[in-house]
Amino acid sequence: MYRYDEFDHQLVAERVEQFRGQVARRVAGEITEDAFKPLRLMNGVYLQLHAYMLRVAIPYGTLSSKQMRMLAHLARKYDRGYGHFTTRQNIQYNWPALDRIPDLLQELASVEMHAIQTSGNCIRNVTSDQYAGAIADEVEDPRIISEIIRQWSTFHPEFSYLPRKFKIAVTGHKNDRAAIKLHDIGIVIVKNAAGEIGYEVHVGGGQGRTPFIAKKMSDFVPAAQLLAYLEAVMRVYNMLGRRDNSYKARIKILVHETGEEEMRRLVDAEFAKIDASQMLTVPQEEIDRIAAYFAPPVLQELPATSASLDSARASDSAFDHWVTTNVVSHVKSGYGIVNISLKPIGGIPGDASDAQMDVIADLAEAYAQDEVRVTHEQNLVLPHVKLDDLKTVYDTLLAHGLATPNLGMISDTIACPGLDYCNLANARSIPLAQEISNRFADLDRQYDIGELKIKISGCINACGHHHVGHIGILGVDKKGTEFYQISLGGSADENASLGDITGRAFTEDDIVDAIENLVASYVDLRHNGERFIDTYRRVGMQPFKERLYAE
Amino acid sequence: MQSNRQLIKDGAMAENLWSYVEDDAALSDAASIISLQRLEDDADTLRSRNAPLGVILRASEKQGEDVRRLAPFLDMIQLVAIEFPVYRNGRGFSSARILREELKFDGEVRAMGEVLFDQWQPMARCGINAFEVDASISLDQFNQALGEFSQAYQPASDGRRGILWQRHGK
Ligand code: SF4
Repeated sequence: MYRYDEFDHQLVAERVEQFRGQVARRVAGEITEDAFKPLRLMNGVYLQLHAYMLRVAIPYGTLSSKQMRMLAHLARKYDRGYGHFTTRQNIQYNWPALDRIPDLLQELASVEMHAIQTSGNCIRNVTSDQYAGAIADEVEDPRIISEIIRQWSTFHPEFSYLPRKFKIAVTGHKNDRAAIKLHDIGIVIVKNAAGEIGYEVHVGGGQGRTPFIAKKMSDFVPAAQLLAYLEAVMRVYNMLGRRDNSYKARIKILVHETGEEEMRRLVDAEFAKIDASQMLTVPQEEIDRIAAYFAPPVLQELPATSASLDSARASDSAFDHWVTTNVVSHVKSGYGIVNISLKPIGGIPGDASDAQMDVIADLAEAYAQDEVRVTHEQNLVLPHVKLDDLKTVYDTLLAHGLATPNLGMISDTIACPGLDYCNLANARSIPLAQEISNRFADLDRQYDIGELKIKISGCINACGHHHVGHIGILGVDKKGTEFYQISLGGSADENASLGDITGRAFTEDDIVDAIENLVASYVDLRHNGERFIDTYRRVGMQPFKERLYAE
Repeated sequence: MQSNRQLIKDGAMAENLWSYVEDDAALSDAASIISLQRLEDDADTLRSRNAPLGVILRASEKQGEDVRRLAPFLDMIQLVAIEFPVYRNGRGFSSARILREELKFDGEVRAMGEVLFDQWQPMARCGINAFEVDASISLDQFNQALGEFSQAYQPASDGRRGILWQRHGK
């Protein structure tokens, strides 16, 4: 994992002091809420429905056990004993008191973390693949370039007041778990014919009220030039992006209105100028220095199978299910990648208590090379666990309500905060996720249904990623009543697609039945081995729709 | 410059010697800041004028004026004022850098409009060296804001190399 040096430490410490001064001026009444707003937003502090919310950055979703313990401690000391992991691999605290946030940030800084650029119209926390460094067939660990991007984008003097927020995601694997095509910039690490590492850059993806899949701007940007290329994209956007209408201000609209070809020409022209100055050419020594922090952990030479695991699976069917759904093959034989579901049946997606966070930190330290990852689907990962240790890890997780064997299943829902917390919401998201989870609680049924990604947003801003849900649910408002619109066929992976709306929206009372109905259609229509999304792509909307709206 | 404003230039209080001149007003021999459009339209006559000339880059609802339109006239002007209509509109940060790094302009680059405390340092990093700030701001406050961050990760127009390079003595 990356460790701060004196430069990193100093900048974060200076930021805490700066914010402490700002909060003191606000609390003393020297500045108005209006004047304070841009300052707090730069530090991840939002004003929500009931209270201030603080969003803490977890760069590319990687945490050490020490950092995880700090997150638990903060939940206990400054919040109500909970933290909420988000779709951007961050954590949010919903109830901190404003005047205590500087202290919270100071404690956070002691474990090399911060809340910088987790809100505001700037370059946000870089997100990446939760299996980085643990999965087979990776071109390069995506956290290396993510860390370089994190540093370059931190307090960027030119790009801190962009037309709108800006999100960058990186994947180093052909299976995209970071939804890179739905980001302002999505980066795929590739190798050229000469065996050199470079970056395929996609620009202009996004969700919200006008969703777009990103366009490929470049097939191959060499490693040393990536920052120059990114700066070129950012500058074109900062100069030409719309500022007259915040709904049209994201780069996806610029790319759409400018056209892919012309956008590429503009970026290439800007890139040529910036690159010629050599100013942003990253020294190889610096790439090497950062890469060294992400060197593969030293793992033991172990056989590919574990006798103790096999016998535990044979004697404990719940454990066996959990291994099947939640454990993924590791690049190293004898190890596995453990997914911890934060979607207990009937629970709040992405929430973890302080006690749970402590337990996970302990497990990471004892069994997973001291690492935890956060996924954009709001779950956690222990990236390097010996197969021999799986049962012990499972037993501990089970004892703390963390062993729900539902990864990728219908109850592994993404949901935005919705009407319970968010002042933009039309409808509740979390209670609906809970209802769906309860309706499909039976695990055998979930396994029969197989992979099915439901994503719920409380309004068109799409924080719950409904456009890319196999089944997407969107809260809409009709004369003050909550309604839910359904879309089908969305996907956030390497075959990214946007869902199609089925038709008329459903009431709160009907929506779960409607989901049930869609699942029944799928079960009837599917061919052997087809997932929901495969069946939908084969048969299209019609058969689902007919049955959904049949009188 | 508005009456409730003062000028801080190159880190010191400075007397403002310039005035903004409307397009339909006659130009005197005093130091004058004119619009980009007027500069383009009257470039030939302005070339023979014998007094300091500055240009203001206006922001607009949609995009604002393009700094690169100044390229043919750089030898005629001593000052470029960049308008920041609201603190949220950071387009001028790019204009300033293009002016310094690409167009190699070495005259005064001035920020005017809504410019907040926390923006002075990034503006300075982008090559802005003169600030029209509220008259209530003391020079101490200004310089304190300029020094809030002692380090920068990335290079910009202020000659700092950036931590990513500094670590290796580059
Ligand atoms: S999708 Fe809408 S309701 Fe949900 S968190 Fe985002 S803004 Fe709030």
